[in-house]
Amino acid sequence: MKRLIAFLCLYALMAGSMRAQTPTGDVLVRNATVLTVTQGTLESTDILVRDGIIAAVGENLSAPSDVPVIEASGHYVMPGIIDAHSHIGISNVNESSAPVTAQVSVGDVLNPYSISIYRALAGGVTTSHVMHGSANVIGGQNETIKHRWGIIDPEELRMAGAPRTIKFALGENPTRVHGRGTGKRPASRMGVEYVLRETLTKAQRYQEEWNRYEQEVRTNPRAVSPAYNGQLEVMSDILNGDILINCHSYRADEILMLMDVLKDFGIQHITFQHVNEGFKIAPELAEFGAYASIFADWWAYKFEVYYSTAYNAAILTRNGVLTSINSDSGELNRHLYHEAAKSQKYGGLSDDEALALITINPARQLGIDERVGSIEVGKDGDLAIFDRHPLSVYAVNRHTIVDGIPYFNADRDADDMRLAVDPESRIDTVILHDHHDDHLCLHEGELDLYDFLTNH
Amino acid sequence: MRGLLSLIFAASALLSVLNHEFQENFTALTNARVVTITQGVIENGTVLMEGDRIVAIGTDVEVPAGARIIDCTGMTVYPGMIDSGTQMGLVEVGSLSETRDNTELGTLSPQMKALTAVNPNGVAIPVTRVNGVTTVLTEPSGGMLPGQAALINLHGYTPSQMFAGFEGISMQFPATGRRGRFDQRTDEQVQEATEKALKLLNDTWNSAELHSRIDSTYQARPESGRKPAYVPSMEALRPVVRGQQALVISVNAARDILAAIEWVKERGLRNVIFTGLSEGWRVADQIAEAGIPCLVGPVLSVPTRPSDRFDKAYRNAALMHAAGVKIAIRSGETANARNLPYNAGFAVAYGLPYEEALRAVTINPAEIFGVDDRLGSLEAGKEATLFIADGDPFETSTTIHHVFIGGYQISMESRHTQLYEEFLNRSPGLENRDGP
Amino acid sequence: MRLFFGFLLLAVLLPQQAAAQVNSGDEVPEVTRTFALTNARVVQAPGRVMEQATIIVRDGLIAAVGPDIEVPFDAEEIPADSFVVYAGFIDGLSHTGIPEPREQRNRERPDDPGDPPNEEAGIQPDRDVHGLLDPEDKRLAALRNAGFTTVHVVPRGRMLPGTGAIILLGGETANEMVYRARTAMFAQLSPARRMYPGTDMAVMAKLRQLFTEAKRRQHLQNLYSEDPAGLERPPFDPVHNSLLPVLREELPVYFHTQSALDLHRALEVQSELGFPVVLTGLNQSFDAVDKLRQAGHALILTLDLPVIPGTSESYEETPADSVAAPPTDAPEKLPEIADPGYDTNLRVQSQADLEAEKANLEKRREIEHRKYLANAADLASSGLAFGFSTLGVKPADLMGNVRLMIDNGLSEDAALAALTTTAADILGVAASMGTVEVGKMANLVVADGPVFEEKSKIKYVFVDGKRFEVEQPARSGRQGRGDQADLSPAGRWSFTVSSEDGNVGGTITIDGSATNWSGTITNDLTDETADLTNIRLDGRSLSFEFSLPELGTISVSVVVSEDSFDGDVTVEGIGAMPISGSRTSGPESYHP
Repeated sequence: MKRLIAFLCLYALMAGSMRAQTPTGDVLVRNATVLTVTQGTLESTDILVRDGIIAAVGENLSAPSDVPVIEASGHYVMPGIIDAHSHIGISNVNESSAPVTAQVSVGDVLNPYSISIYRALAGGVTTSHVMHGSANVIGGQNETIKHRWGIIDPEELRMAGAPRTIKFALGENPTRVHGRGTGKRPASRMGVEYVLRETLTKAQRYQEEWNRYEQEVRTNPRAVSPAYNGQLEVMSDILNGDILINCHSYRADEILMLMDVLKDFGIQHITFQHVNEGFKIAPELAEFGAYASIFADWWAYKFEVYYSTAYNAAILTRNGVLTSINSDSGELNRHLYHEAAKSQKYGGLSDDEALALITINPARQLGIDERVGSIEVGKDGDLAIFDRHPLSVYAVNRHTIVDGIPYFNADRDADDMRLAVDPESRIDTVILHDHHDDHLCLHEGELDLYDFLTNH
Repeated sequence: MRGLLSLIFAASALLSVLNHEFQENFTALTNARVVTITQGVIENGTVLMEGDRIVAIGTDVEVPAGARIIDCTGMTVYPGMIDSGTQMGLVEVGSLSETRDNTELGTLSPQMKALTAVNPNGVAIPVTRVNGVTTVLTEPSGGMLPGQAALINLHGYTPSQMFAGFEGISMQFPATGRRGRFDQRTDEQVQEATEKALKLLNDTWNSAELHSRIDSTYQARPESGRKPAYVPSMEALRPVVRGQQALVISVNAARDILAAIEWVKERGLRNVIFTGLSEGWRVADQIAEAGIPCLVGPVLSVPTRPSDRFDKAYRNAALMHAAGVKIAIRSGETANARNLPYNAGFAVAYGLPYEEALRAVTINPAEIFGVDDRLGSLEAGKEATLFIADGDPFETSTTIHHVFIGGYQISMESRHTQLYEEFLNRSPGLENRDGP
Repeated sequence: MRLFFGFLLLAVLLPQQAAAQVNSGDEVPEVTRTFALTNARVVQAPGRVMEQATIIVRDGLIAAVGPDIEVPFDAEEIPADSFVVYAGFIDGLSHTGIPEPREQRNRERPDDPGDPPNEEAGIQPDRDVHGLLDPEDKRLAALRNAGFTTVHVVPRGRMLPGTGAIILLGGETANEMVYRARTAMFAQLSPARRMYPGTDMAVMAKLRQLFTEAKRRQHLQNLYSEDPAGLERPPFDPVHNSLLPVLREELPVYFHTQSALDLHRALEVQSELGFPVVLTGLNQSFDAVDKLRQAGHALILTLDLPVIPGTSESYEETPADSVAAPPTDAPEKLPEIADPGYDTNLRVQSQADLEAEKANLEKRREIEHRKYLANAADLASSGLAFGFSTLGVKPADLMGNVRLMIDNGLSEDAALAALTTTAADILGVAASMGTVEVGKMANLVVADGPVFEEKSKIKYVFVDGKRFEVEQPARSGRQGRGDQADLSPAGRWSFTVSSEDGNVGGTITIDGSATNWSGTITNDLTDETADLTNIRLDGRSLSFEFSLPELGTISVSVVVSEDSFDGDVTVEGIGAMPISGSRTSGPESYHP
């Protein structure tokens, strides 16, 4: 569509100018065991990052003397971990007032002060796909961020150039919040399908109206445009394939339903999130080309995940479904390497297959695999350096590097890494985390108390 | 809702066609590496079991004729792991209240017994034990005195078959910590609630002590006819007041732990266990001095304070141990209590000596619960509750090949393995999509 | 507990008019509108001082300023030897004079929370502050007593509460007060409750929707007014229509931001939609100075400053020169905290390090606190001019906070500019206000010394040529009290909280001394008692709080005069109602 929405242009310009400012660095990692993920494991190998980009991978690399060196002999370097499902670093999670809220975006409320970003970084995570919650059938747009800890301009958290994505949600959450909460559809999985089809059809109509107007205005400058609708603008970008769908889903039937709906509307790209029953329909997922982003072993916290298996990753992988393991949690995201390792216990994935679950596979799902997800020349200098093989439970991350800049250093970082402290706060506030609270998707809550206490 | 429930239980019954073989005669685990916990590691040894007991361990054990032999070449035998904090058997599906039996109404219900409500067919039970966790403490929750936690073995068809010999009164100590990220009470409100709870606790304890005194005197002089009033909650507290039963106090924030130590001292309680201890490291010296054993965890959790180092929860167990506190590790999980060994593994990665981590999931909890004559190590005379693995059980790459609980060789199936078997190569795959 | 159920009832049935504080007729009438302030030191504008000058105020204007000016015969002469005269202060943004809206508790959610009525969602750009002004609001006089003569008031509300007005703190009716109406469109990232837009991100989406659609409608209106033939009439609704002056750049948006995150978000939305903007609040602008400099918008800085819990409001000064350069071995990353007392590498290895941790965390908090105190100075040294906003600040704290900013590096001239000339520029009233010059409005502050000195007292405030004598705290008091600076609130008081729907009485008892007050409040209705907390006495302003389970914290703020008090009771989220009381016994020194 050629409609000129002034703000979109401005936005693009701004994003462009911001990108130029994002700091990048140089670093030489020496003598490491390099787990490239896509090109095997290289012993006693160096990695040179220049201006934030991997410039060389090989033995005995040389670099100018001003390039910082990390001696990594005996250590393991893996690509920076990518969390395909997270809710860290944002002030809002759910706009739960309506079953469809495509117009909102968590990218508008990034919070670079959130300590959760640093904690994820400490676990080797360099990129997070931060998502709207699962209260709505069509929730808000998500944002792919890089963990540039310490840079307090929210714009600088964005991974510039990453494709736009949006959250959908099926099953218990949207039917509880709306149908059984406010009495608005959907109250059942039948209603969920109806909300999807209705909204997508409205978006088609909206596109048609604007196309008609754009035709007419060429010959008639007094043509009257249709009313602007920010929500249907986003929906129509989905129809055009400009926004990738990431759908919270659990049960096999609802996943099949969404694939049918997408087929009818000509939408090809879909990543199912959680997808605990994905294993049941792995052949269908593979045939459609759908992606799966799952928990390593979370189950039984609600009825729709009662029939789960920790072998999900293995079954999906063996059936040819591109699969990632995500956290959806400010706790799990600190040890995604360990979550990936569980795929070896449950189904015996190889080291590269297991590591791919948290690197190149989520990168492909998010459409950023040209830039991140493996250690290859030309890709972003996003690395995590562990003291042992990262699939070992005893592995401890020593350095996390983003864009060639070491943002986490286990030896050097102080305890208190907060970027801001509310002068009116107590110094000894204690927050006891219930494991289950960390899974924000399971809640409709909007506020991260940590962020609240530290930043507001 | 009845439909839903029957669906759940019908389905779990269908899936539970498992065979657990009781080994009446001798079973010998030969050529094994034996990690006894209490008596070192025996290379190339034999563990001999008869019925529900271990009868011999060593390198020179004579295997009786006719014994069933499991060749454990390349394998290691460990005592079954004990998870000292779960809601196993009490909670089936977290979000469905109809499937949760961990909470009774009222804040003072110490007479409630978790063991009563343990569902031996809970779907998480097989899932947990095939990972080597053979014994768990299952705890009631909600209110100040939610009831009695029970130690259970993860095999048996009735709660009494599962019972592993320990019941303790659970207590939630008045807490100043915030309960998760959605707790947005002001500091004053937290303080007020804490003081109110402490008053309730003291009032309750005064009554319990009085009730116990009346009972003692009456027992000595039944002719007085002054039988104590029938108050079930006070009767339940009587053995705790008298030091005959353990009080398991859940406490996390540093200042609450100090308050709890003080309270325990004031009340002269001798049989006390702490559980939770998120900030135990901050007051580890005082805990060590008080000599109260601690069930610590989950290790895999976030720090309690935004100013804390990112790995503080991982390090907590190590720091407490270093200060001389006796620790056991708990997962705090139910469906994923199977992750207990990984909690222990993370504690090792962040400073807990490996041997101590092993003890923290075996002999330490057994001693803390007073069942070390039966469980917690591989020794002749103890129960045949053990597992055989091809490596370190804390590592995810390790596979557990056999599990024995009380002499029963446990089926290695669970819902997770069954679904794997069924769906790895689903049949039909994409055929017959328009119906047969 | 059902403590003070009576309050709950009253709170729900909030009075429409505060207790009638109508002119009692006891005041001595003014006989002339001409005044001569003689022999004063006149600070005409920041950096422009005239010694021993006379100012003639006539018919609301400054008729003359200078050293050798004759006092006209019709003037009331005010000898101002040793006094300092300034232009009246201008409050760049506040809700002064706007009563707290009545918040309906347990209001039913709208039928469709995803598309609620605009009014419920806080989308009221068509509303104007004029109709909401309450000339009886006590904060008007309190702000005037602090030296303010002009206030830019905007409605209370959520994302788009309405348009603002510049008012003078001298009129007795709303009409008399308004100097200029419809001065600004007020906006803030303030979501609706339990309906759309229920989050900041939804507020941003809603702003985009409203402005983009308004732009389209503007275009349609243009087409239609050129020639309606053949065109369907453009849609009309007051919300979109009221945004059109903003789109035409005739009306600026005053975008209120309370955190650095708010600020970034406001800048983002503004740069997308391109409306003219004045950024207000800016509590954490220290984290976005560069971006503000690039954006070049006008700024109105809050006078609110944080207070470290458990400390008094007076801040222990840390001289700027004691801040050392960062140690060379410090981490190269943030947080870059350069302070000799702070250990940037502290690692708490065990319990043994907890004391060091505590000291470091307290130091850190102090360092962060200083950022807020130095915020104004940072903006000024970055070349960013700003006015001040009193929004959310107690009048009694205003000058103290300005002094804190000065202590932390803001020059007195810059502070005065923020209070006068810059605020006048931003508000577009520099031709008539902001300096002491002939022809300008006679808005003046007369103090008995340099106004930024702590011991100086404001004696008179002139608003629009009208003189207001500032009553000093009763330090000169009545006989027998000597030089005691503050009244003592100690003793037993009977009080009445009044509303249209009835009154509640009760007893307040206060004990203790200046450093440590304590007390209780009891009501006659239920006869239950609550403890008073945060009891503070500042001059004659007494404030305290108590809490009720049903209502949360209730704050009381009254002005005490000898044995009586008057003020407001504020229930969080509900509103305020008047309270008055009289002392029935104590303190002992009172009745010898």
